[in-house]
Amino acid sequence: MVIIANIGKYFFLMIQVFSRPVNKKIFFKRFLQEIEQIGLNSIWIVAIVSIFMGAVLTLQVAINFENPLIPRYLIGLSARDTMILEFSSTIICLILAGKVGSNIASEIGTMKITEQIDALEIMGVNPANYLILPKILAALFTFPFLNLMSIILGIVGGLLIAVFTDVVSVFNYIYGLRYLFVPFYVTYSLIKICFFAVIITSISSFYGYYTEGGALEVGKSSTKAVVYSIIMILLFNLILTQLLLT
Amino acid sequence: MIEVVNVNKLFGDNHVLKDISTSFEPGKVSMIIGRSGSGKTVLLKCIIGLLIPDSGEIYFDKREFTKSNIKFKTQIRQELGMVFQGGALFTSSTVEENVRFPLDLFTNWSKSEKQKRVDFCLERVGIKNANKLYPTEISGGMQKRVAIARAIVLNPKYLCCDEPNSGLDPQTAILIDRLISKITKEYNITTIVNTHDMNSVMEIADSINFIFQGNNWWQGTKDDIFNTDNKELNDFVFASELCKKIKKETT
Repeated sequence: MVIIANIGKYFFLMIQVFSRPVNKKIFFKRFLQEIEQIGLNSIWIVAIVSIFMGAVLTLQVAINFENPLIPRYLIGLSARDTMILEFSSTIICLILAGKVGSNIASEIGTMKITEQIDALEIMGVNPANYLILPKILAALFTFPFLNLMSIILGIVGGLLIAVFTDVVSVFNYIYGLRYLFVPFYVTYSLIKICFFAVIITSISSFYGYYTEGGALEVGKSSTKAVVYSIIMILLFNLILTQLLLT
Repeated sequence: MIEVVNVNKLFGDNHVLKDISTSFEPGKVSMIIGRSGSGKTVLLKCIIGLLIPDSGEIYFDKREFTKSNIKFKTQIRQELGMVFQGGALFTSSTVEENVRFPLDLFTNWSKSEKQKRVDFCLERVGIKNANKLYPTEISGGMQKRVAIARAIVLNPKYLCCDEPNSGLDPQTAILIDRLISKITKEYNITTIVNTHDMNSVMEIADSINFIFQGNNWWQGTKDDIFNTDNKELNDFVFASELCKKIKKETT
């Protein structure tokens, strides 16, 4: 029953979120602030994780492709496809659910318990729209760029392994990167990350918005936001893969 | 004028507000007093629309508020200033940005006009050289002043304050009380103050509503308090030895 009630509350909140902003100028200013907060501030973590994971992935694939019948260029191919299909969308979003999701839930939760949200409402502002919509749109705008950046940096990470070790030659690695490239995989990855952007920001905002109590409850909301965002990302990953790739 | 007519509010089986009827006049500081948990905050939240009463009506200058649509509520809320218990200042914005926020939202004024108004309001509440500071960088008393400045920046017709001097030292509390009273008289605002601080009541109350177990138990002025034989009110007001002594001397 609690789950059904929560789903109802979530959609009720989303109806309030997707309404017309009171002041477009202020809304645009908030949107830019959120781009910085959600997108630009996440670049470093996405970059670091992508480079290292690309490098490790290349190493692991190279170690496992010991059979001389398997062409070495498949190392580049598998690194590319793993980055595009799964890592740069799903895994990066699991990381962002932790970073961005907990940040959103604790920010909105703190505003809730310190009556800042009530203050907005008393001023005649729709707090859900004012606080949450810029976050969702900023994530929708920035996450695809983070996705593309992650793909590129992951592949670069693998290339660095090719350059500095002898597990695969640079020629084979680059040949593998270009071999049997399916452009739709990038589209698929971008579609997925757009869904995940909405999932992370809306679920985290939901748990922040309905925080009741004190600092302890803000922490609990933050944890719930991350956990449920991750579960929904994994569920939608399965659904979207089934719909788009099979 | 704000009128509350037969307002009831329940939380499950807990009947928090029981058929409350009262009115608050312009140019006067009307105080809602009562013990913690008596229902005074719930009443204030019903008045400002943060809670919806289960039955009854609330009128702002004869305009029904509780059952009106969101557009109308927004219109009335723009005439309403609210000072929250903790100030409720936006911690990510500076003092100046906090006060300017309602102007940014609801006026088409130029930047210089807004700045002029912000400076005026901050000066009015006695804040100097703190425009660029963040709420966390100023004292509790200053935060309350900034909250008052933000509440009056749009020239409200109604001002609601939820325990405006809680957590403040007696001297600062009196300053805040006097400021609220002065602003109320100066701009003929309908002011409602929710408090359990008897010093505030004695300092600035023009009319008093005593809420007891969800009922509007007693209504009167601060002078009436000394002459009433209402047991519950006497127990509440003259709980301390000091107040008992004052009553003895007064009567």
